[in-house]
Amino acid sequence: MTVPPSSGSNPLLDGLRIEPTPAPTALIIFGASGDLTRRKLLPAVYQLSRGQRLPARFTVVGVARSEMSDEQFRQQLHDSLKEFAGISKPDDVSTALAARLFYVHGEMDDPALYQKLVAKLKECGAPDGVLFYLAIPPTVYGVVADQLAAARLTEPATPDGWRRMIVEKPFGTDLESARALNQRLHKYLDESQVFRIDHYLGKETVQNLLVFRFANGMFEPVWNRRYIDHVQITAAETVGVERRAAYYEGAGALRDMVQNHLMQVLALVAMEPPIAFSAENVRDRKLDVILSMQPFVTDRGAREHVVRAQYSAGWVNGTEVPGYRQEEGVNSESSTDTYVALRAYLDSWRWAGVPFYIRTGKRMPKRTTEIAIQFRRPPLHIFKRISPTPIAPNLLIVNVQPDEGISVRFEAKLPGTRMQLAPVMMNFRYGSAFGRPVPEAYETLLLDAMLGDATLYARHDFVEASWALITPILDAWRSAKADGLACYEAGEWGPREADALIAADGRRWRTL
Amino acid sequence: MAKMIDGLLPSGRDVAFAEIEATLARIVSGGRRHNRPPARALLATVIVVGPPQRLIAAAEALEQFSDMGGVRSILISEGEHTEPIARVTDTAVAVSGLAPRYLNNAVAALRLSSLPAAVWWRGGSVEGLKDLADLADRLILDTEEPEAAWREAGSLFERTALTDLRWTALTRWRSALAHLFDLPHVRRGAAALKGVRIDARDLASGRLYAGWLKSSLPWPSGAKLEIQPCSAAGAPLTCVSLDCGGVAVTLKMREGRSCFEATAGAQESERIVPTGDVSLGALIAEELGVRTRDLAFERALIAAQEIAA
Repeated sequence: MTVPPSSGSNPLLDGLRIEPTPAPTALIIFGASGDLTRRKLLPAVYQLSRGQRLPARFTVVGVARSEMSDEQFRQQLHDSLKEFAGISKPDDVSTALAARLFYVHGEMDDPALYQKLVAKLKECGAPDGVLFYLAIPPTVYGVVADQLAAARLTEPATPDGWRRMIVEKPFGTDLESARALNQRLHKYLDESQVFRIDHYLGKETVQNLLVFRFANGMFEPVWNRRYIDHVQITAAETVGVERRAAYYEGAGALRDMVQNHLMQVLALVAMEPPIAFSAENVRDRKLDVILSMQPFVTDRGAREHVVRAQYSAGWVNGTEVPGYRQEEGVNSESSTDTYVALRAYLDSWRWAGVPFYIRTGKRMPKRTTEIAIQFRRPPLHIFKRISPTPIAPNLLIVNVQPDEGISVRFEAKLPGTRMQLAPVMMNFRYGSAFGRPVPEAYETLLLDAMLGDATLYARHDFVEASWALITPILDAWRSAKADGLACYEAGEWGPREADALIAADGRRWRTL
Repeated sequence: MAKMIDGLLPSGRDVAFAEIEATLARIVSGGRRHNRPPARALLATVIVVGPPQRLIAAAEALEQFSDMGGVRSILISEGEHTEPIARVTDTAVAVSGLAPRYLNNAVAALRLSSLPAAVWWRGGSVEGLKDLADLADRLILDTEEPEAAWREAGSLFERTALTDLRWTALTRWRSALAHLFDLPHVRRGAAALKGVRIDARDLASGRLYAGWLKSSLPWPSGAKLEIQPCSAAGAPLTCVSLDCGGVAVTLKMREGRSCFEATAGAQESERIVPTGDVSLGALIAEELGVRTRDLAFERALIAAQEIAA
C-alpha cells in the first residue's frame, strides 16, 4: 500500500530529505565591515548556500561606517572565505553568492543611511522578508532600531513580508539597561521578532543536551538531587583580551561569559522536561531554572558564593604573556575580573541542596568548555577490603569545545585474579562518530532566525532574570572596588580563593 | 569450499565461517597488545550482497567511509556453497559463494546486535533479497539492471525501509527543483504543466526522477514526458526542463560538472547548486543516516515502473 502525497503548498518537498528552507530573505548586516561578519557571518552564509539551505531569493546587504562599494564587499566575502573557511579561490557557489551581496555605508544615527538602505533594497530587488543582524556595539542597538522604524523598515510592505532582528551579546550591561533595551526594541518589534543570539546555544553538544536528557529513558531518572552530587561547568580560554580591551574593561568575565553563555548552559542542564520541543516550551522551562536560583549576594556580601580574579603575568602554551593590567588598552589599575567562580543553588525539588559550580577565565592552561555531572558514590563500598583503591564517583562529562562529545566515567575490574578496581572512560565524539562535519554554531543560528525558530535564542525574560541575579554581584564589586579581587598567574587554573570556595564544601575543581 | 574473491579485503585473514567472531575478537585484542588505538565504536552493520567486482567496489567505498562512520561491513557473494569461506579484517567480513537460501542465516549470525542493519543490494537473486528484508532496518537497492528488484519492491515496502541508491544520487536534483517550487509563480504554473524533458546518463535514474514528478505534481493528461540518454560522466542527470504553463523551469549541469544551475523564469531566481559528492562512499554514507520509510520514493518507484524503459 502506498500513501497519497500530502497536500503541502510545495508538492515537491514531500518526503524530501532536506531541512526546511526559509522564505525569501534579505539579510541586512549592520557592522558588515567588522570582525564578526568576516570571521563568522559570511562563512556561515556561504556554507548555508553550499548546503542548499538558503531560499531561492536571497540577498545580503552590508551596512557599516567604512566606505566600501558593492564590489569591495563582494571581495570581502572571498577574502573572508579564504581566511576563515579554507576556500582558497572563488568557486561557483561563492561567485553566485557574491552577486547577491550589496553594501551601503554611513553613520548609524544618520537618517540618510537608512534612505540609502531603502534605495539599495529596491535597486537589488530584495525580498520583503528581512532579517536585520546587529553586529555592532550594543550602545547603538537602540539608535539603529529607532532609525529603522523611522525609515519604515521595521514594517513589511507586503502580506508575505516579515521582519526579524538578531541582536548580538552583550544584551545590556545590567538589569536596568537590559530592560531599557528590551523596551526600546519592543516599541517596533514584538518578542517573536527579536532574536538574542548566544552562539553557545548553536553548538551541537549544547543542543544535544536536550536530546541526551529527553530522548533517552535511562538518564532522566537519575538526573536529580538523589543521585547527583554536584555539577561543574567550566569555560576556560587560553587567550587574553587580544584586541577587545576597550570592550572587556567595561565587561569582565561575569558579564562576558556568565550572564549569558553559562547561565544558558546551566539552564539546559537543570531544566525540567518541556512538554514539547518548541521555542516557547523550551524557553519557559529554562526560565524556571533561572527564577529558582538563589541570589549570589547574601547578607555577608558576594564573597560567600562568588570569587573574582585577574591574571598576572605568566606562561601559557609555551609563551610568556603579560598580566592583564599590562595588556594594551587596559587601565594599569583595572579591577576588571578576568576570572569568575561561583556556587549556585536552585530552589527546586529536583535540585535542592545540589551545588552548581561555575568557573570561567582567560589565560587558563587549556581552552576547554565542559559540563561535568558528578554522581554520588555508591552507598556502600563492598570492595573496600579487597581493593585498596577508593571508588571514583561516576562522572558524566559533556564536552562543549573544542572536542565536542560526551564521556562517562565508571568503575571497572582490572583484568587479573585480584579484585582490583579502576575508573574507565566511555567516550562519544561528535567529530568522528557520525562521519559528517559538525556545522558552525552561526550556521545553525542564522538559519533558525531565517526560519523564525527562536528555540536556540534567548528570550527577554530569561535575559532579565539572569541580569537580576548578576547585577547585585556587580553592585557589590563596584562598592568594593579592587578589594576582594584575587590574582592568579596566567597559565594556572585560577586563584587559591576559587579552590577554597569549592573546598569549603569538601569538593575540588576537576583537573582538566 | 568456495574460492575467496581476488582483491576483496586483501589485508584480511581467511577463516571458516564458524571462526569469524573469534577471529574478530583476536584482531581487536591483538591491536590492544600492540598499543594500536582502540577500535572505533560501531554504529551499524552494513550487509552488501552482489557479484564479485561490485563487492570490491563496495568494500573500498565502505573502507573509505569507515574512517568516519564506524560500521561492521559484511560482504557476501552468492554461489552454491553451504560451507563458505570467509575473510576477516577488524571491521569487515567477506563471505564468498554462499547459497542464497542461507543469506539470511549468515546475516543473522554476523550482524551487530541492538544496532541498525542496512542491506546494500548490488545484485543477486530476488529470493535472497526478500529473505533479507526482514533482517534489515533499511534495504538499499543498487543494481545495474534494477527491473527485477523494482518489481519485488512493492511487496517489501511494508517489511522494511526500502530505497534505491539512484534516489540518493538524485537528492540534490530533487531538492533544487523543490526549492524553485517555493516560488508561488512556479507552483501556479505547474498546474498547467505542458511537458518535462530529462537528459539522463542512467535511464533508470531518469525514470525514477520522472516517476517522482508524476507522483508529486498535478499531471495533466496531455503533458509530455521525454527521457533522453546522454553520455556525461558523474552525475545521474545533466538537464531537467519543465514547461510550467509558460514558466520555464530548468536545472542544467554547468561546465566543469561540479555545479548545476537552477532557474525558473526570471533571472533573479537563479541558483547555483553544487552537485555534491556522488561517489559510492558518499552516497552510501548519506543513505546510512536515514532509517525511516520514504513514502515519496515508494510513490516515485511505482510511477517509474509505469514509464516505459
